[in-house]
Amino acid sequence: MKPILEFRKIEKAFFGVRVLKGISFSVPEGSILGIVGENGAGKSTMMNILGGNLRADGGEILIGDERLVAADPRESERRGIAFIHQELNLFPNLSIAENLFLTRFPRAGGLPWIKRGELNRRAAELLKEVGLDVSPDRSVETLSAGERQLLEVAKALSFNARIIIFDEPTTSLTSREIEVLFALIAKLRARGMTMIYISHALQDVFRLCDDILVLRDGEVVAHDATETFSTDKLISLMVGRSLEQVFPGRAKTRSGEVLLEVRRLVRGEVIRDVSFSLRAGEVLGISGLMGAGRSELARAIFGLDRRSSGEVRIHGETVRKSSPRAMIRRGLAFLTENRRSEGLCMDGSIAENLTLAALPIYSKHASGWLSRENIRTAVQKMRGEVHLDAKARSEQPIRTLSGGNQQKVVLGKWLLRNPKILILDEPTRGVDVGAKAEIYRLISELAGQGMGILLISSEIEELIGLSDCIVVMRGGTIVDELARAEFDRERILRAALKAA
Amino acid sequence: MRANVLARNPLAGAFLSEYFVLLLTVILFVALAPFAVGLASSESALNIVAYLIPLFIAGTGLTIVLITGGIDLSIPAVIALTSVVGARLMTGESSVISVAVGVGAMLGVGAAIGAFNGVLITALRLPAFMVTLASMLFFNGFAVWFTQSSNIGDLPANYLALGKQLPIALTAAVVIGVVFHLLLSRTIFGRWIYALGQNAVAAHISGVPVQRLTFATYVLSGFCAAIASVILTGRLETGSPVLGREMLLDVVGATVLGGTSLFGGRGRIYWTFFGVLFLTVLDTALNLMNLSQFAVTMSKGAVILFAAVIDATRRRFVAFA
Amino acid sequence: MNRNAHRILQFSPLLLFVLVLVFFGLQSPRFLDPRNLANIAAQSASTGILAVGMTFVLLTAGVDLSVGAIMFVTAAIAGKLALSGTPVHVVVPCMLLAGMLFGSVNAFFITKLRVVAFVVTLAMLFVGRGLSLWITETRAMNLPAIYLEIGSARFLGVSIPAWIFLAVLIVGHLVVTRTPLGRQILAVGHDVEAARKAGIQTGRILAAVYVISGLCAAAAAIITLGQLGAVSPKFGEQKEFAAIAAAVLGGTSLFGGRGSVLPGALLGTLLIQTIENGLVIMNADPYLYPMVTSGIIFVAVALESLRNRSAPVAR
Repeated sequence: MKPILEFRKIEKAFFGVRVLKGISFSVPEGSILGIVGENGAGKSTMMNILGGNLRADGGEILIGDERLVAADPRESERRGIAFIHQELNLFPNLSIAENLFLTRFPRAGGLPWIKRGELNRRAAELLKEVGLDVSPDRSVETLSAGERQLLEVAKALSFNARIIIFDEPTTSLTSREIEVLFALIAKLRARGMTMIYISHALQDVFRLCDDILVLRDGEVVAHDATETFSTDKLISLMVGRSLEQVFPGRAKTRSGEVLLEVRRLVRGEVIRDVSFSLRAGEVLGISGLMGAGRSELARAIFGLDRRSSGEVRIHGETVRKSSPRAMIRRGLAFLTENRRSEGLCMDGSIAENLTLAALPIYSKHASGWLSRENIRTAVQKMRGEVHLDAKARSEQPIRTLSGGNQQKVVLGKWLLRNPKILILDEPTRGVDVGAKAEIYRLISELAGQGMGILLISSEIEELIGLSDCIVVMRGGTIVDELARAEFDRERILRAALKAA
Repeated sequence: MRANVLARNPLAGAFLSEYFVLLLTVILFVALAPFAVGLASSESALNIVAYLIPLFIAGTGLTIVLITGGIDLSIPAVIALTSVVGARLMTGESSVISVAVGVGAMLGVGAAIGAFNGVLITALRLPAFMVTLASMLFFNGFAVWFTQSSNIGDLPANYLALGKQLPIALTAAVVIGVVFHLLLSRTIFGRWIYALGQNAVAAHISGVPVQRLTFATYVLSGFCAAIASVILTGRLETGSPVLGREMLLDVVGATVLGGTSLFGGRGRIYWTFFGVLFLTVLDTALNLMNLSQFAVTMSKGAVILFAAVIDATRRRFVAFA
Repeated sequence: MNRNAHRILQFSPLLLFVLVLVFFGLQSPRFLDPRNLANIAAQSASTGILAVGMTFVLLTAGVDLSVGAIMFVTAAIAGKLALSGTPVHVVVPCMLLAGMLFGSVNAFFITKLRVVAFVVTLAMLFVGRGLSLWITETRAMNLPAIYLEIGSARFLGVSIPAWIFLAVLIVGHLVVTRTPLGRQILAVGHDVEAARKAGIQTGRILAAVYVISGLCAAAAAIITLGQLGAVSPKFGEQKEFAAIAAAVLGGTSLFGGRGSVLPGALLGTLLIQTIENGLVIMNADPYLYPMVTSGIIFVAVALESLRNRSAPVAR
């Protein structure tokens, strides 16, 4: 079979961090390729380049025999590539048929008049092909997650797609809906459609795909026929052993007093009954896949999202009214996963961002008058502590800094408050290797000083290198708990993937 | 790329500078002086200062609202309603106490309208422009109904002095300008205001009391508008339900022209002073040139459009930097 | 909030309308007289047409504060032309053209220069009114009798303004529900970025709604001219508020993507006009009217905020 799609040495870096390191592979026409890899291995980046949402820094993509040139979603679409994102691109305020033909309505003659009859007939044909048994003039608002997924496939078919990319299509589907989707995928394959299937659900990948490609740290580590893999082999390939990062030696765990206690925390469907406690001087790692409820857990503890039930105790005291403000007063700090949208005021300066959370400390009286001298000293001291780029002026806008230095500013902002409990959500995401090492050093030092640290990370290496204990989350609950002596990459990934 | 090109181009540098509007004012003054007879006279200078003061005071409150990313279109209604309420309380009286009560009531009403806006914006999460626009309509209507569309005269002499004695008004303006400048640049409140306008989510996570802060800015804006009304009413010697009706575009236009962004996060009190100065000079010059009232209105509409276009353009440049 | 509350909020305009009818009906027997109701329909025409245009703009999450000023400009132009002897069948197309031109200026600033819609249209409100005062030389102009005759003429027992209103409603409704433009407007209003990704030319769509709004403002001016027979300096003043209130009361969201011409804009307009008519019949203080209008806006946006929060597919 001749390949319909070929990647040749595709390169991509974000803010100087290489996320795709010369990716090459090809897909034969009419086959299904499964792509697996840990969070951050580069799967989404790779597919976003193919879908035209991102531009590759180097290399080329061939579709059929022709090069795919522009980084433009419409160009990719024209070349027959349909990318079904995890977050569907549908308009709930329009009907099914309208969503299908939004830019290509069948018109009456040359008039700007939609031929409803034809629109609905053509939509009905597409719906029949994907096995969606609903009226085409129903509002998308009324469709279930599974039905919307099928609608996206119908949309892909309507564009005469030759390659359909599925990115984690089953995360929000019920098991019955999953069966319907799989039957459709099988049917499309029988018709000669090429598909790429990205998923953490390994049993699904085994069931559906002809070939499997394993991605790790932006590199292809394996690409072969499905029969040649076993679950164990896949997992060990995914975790690999990258030894490029050196972790600071952690002092022996001292079991200090309990700082934070979470009891039976529930938030809607995303967090279901989570309990754990964090002691002074302890680094508690939280592992899990995207959507496992890790960030949601952190947000609920910090009072950003309301919890449905359960309690949070700090220093043994139950917190009733929780808001970020109240939690900060009680000694909590929270570095969120979205540095740019939640961590920093991008138009503000380094000094302004560093002092934002700690301002009340620098005013002597109730008027809120700030002492410039105190602020300057504090900024200077904190810049040294987090090893911020010495060349940067404190008045410099934060947007001019590299990702690593920006992250150090966010960390510094919280450290100025002298927190007792520090929640770090993906602290090294989009950060260069040098800054990474410094953030690791800081985490280790802070724990040594008696701070309790909750470390959420998608990098298992990072968790193993820094934590005293690791809990694994899946589907909103804690599914495994490992003490330091039990740390095992494969066990962690297995728990996160539910690959028993 | 683009930012570098800009930095090297002196014209673009001037355009992005915070003194851009001051420069424009000077150019405007020099260009129009030959046509507007008497523009370069001490009389016209006094005139400019007199017009500038209430506009600047109202603009100060608006600046704070704009920095948080909000807007207050109800300023003219605050001026009108406080004017008639104050006048109703003071008319026919002459004691110092009645003046104090009247002025106190004016400031109170101003702050109350601001609080009303603030509650609707924070509690119901409605768009600020819609709330304050409806407020403007409502309180303007209320002022007209309250007086049955007539003016209230016979105000106490010691009150009129507040408006007529330039030094008093000037002192008030300087004090307010300095206080608010310090509030923005040297206090927690000020730093929070900028943070809120730059990134409300990050501010919330960092422990900034976003709701209370937003509420406070609208109260301050209403309060400032009320002070402007105290001066304007005193100068006019009557409480008028249509006082300040033409001021909306002047205030918003001058503030945005000064460089305070409609998108939030950027703004300074002295920028607003520059913007107000520009608008007042333009206004005075156009009047001296005997242009009709509608030409003046139109040119003001054009000024705010111009200011908004500059604001949008600046924003795009900064995004590239 | 649960589904029932949501459903009640969905029907709140209709519910309010019935309440208002009952309230004024009890206050004065004259109110429910068929002739008075026909009157309400005719009085609704100009506000209603503006509300149709405003609905288009609001569907994209924009706003047009310049519609009252556009009414004044087009009426002033009409006055000038009519008084210099231009026949009606030339004047009317000129007005429509002028309305669209003004709408295009709004569109230019909003889509090309990326200035916020409410600032652009607020500035245009002042520019437009200034321009009109200049054209009319700040005087009232009485138009030839033919205009009043058209405005009060009847066809099948219904006045011409009411017919025009009906026509605009039907056309507006069909454009929103049955043309590619209408459906793409809804898509843009729901999420501009998603619409762009889906391949919609969002700039064009946004421009179109302001031109449509300008056109509707001109049509409203034509009707008002027919009913008043004159252009005064207060022509079209504060009409933008009535139009926004009518559209939002009819269930059109300020945040875009949700709303309708039929029944939305029609219901909202009738509600406002009925209240105003009821106040007149009750001999209420005329100075209360603007307060009532703004009070209605507050109610409308508050209801809209509640609707938004109760929507079952929030987020």
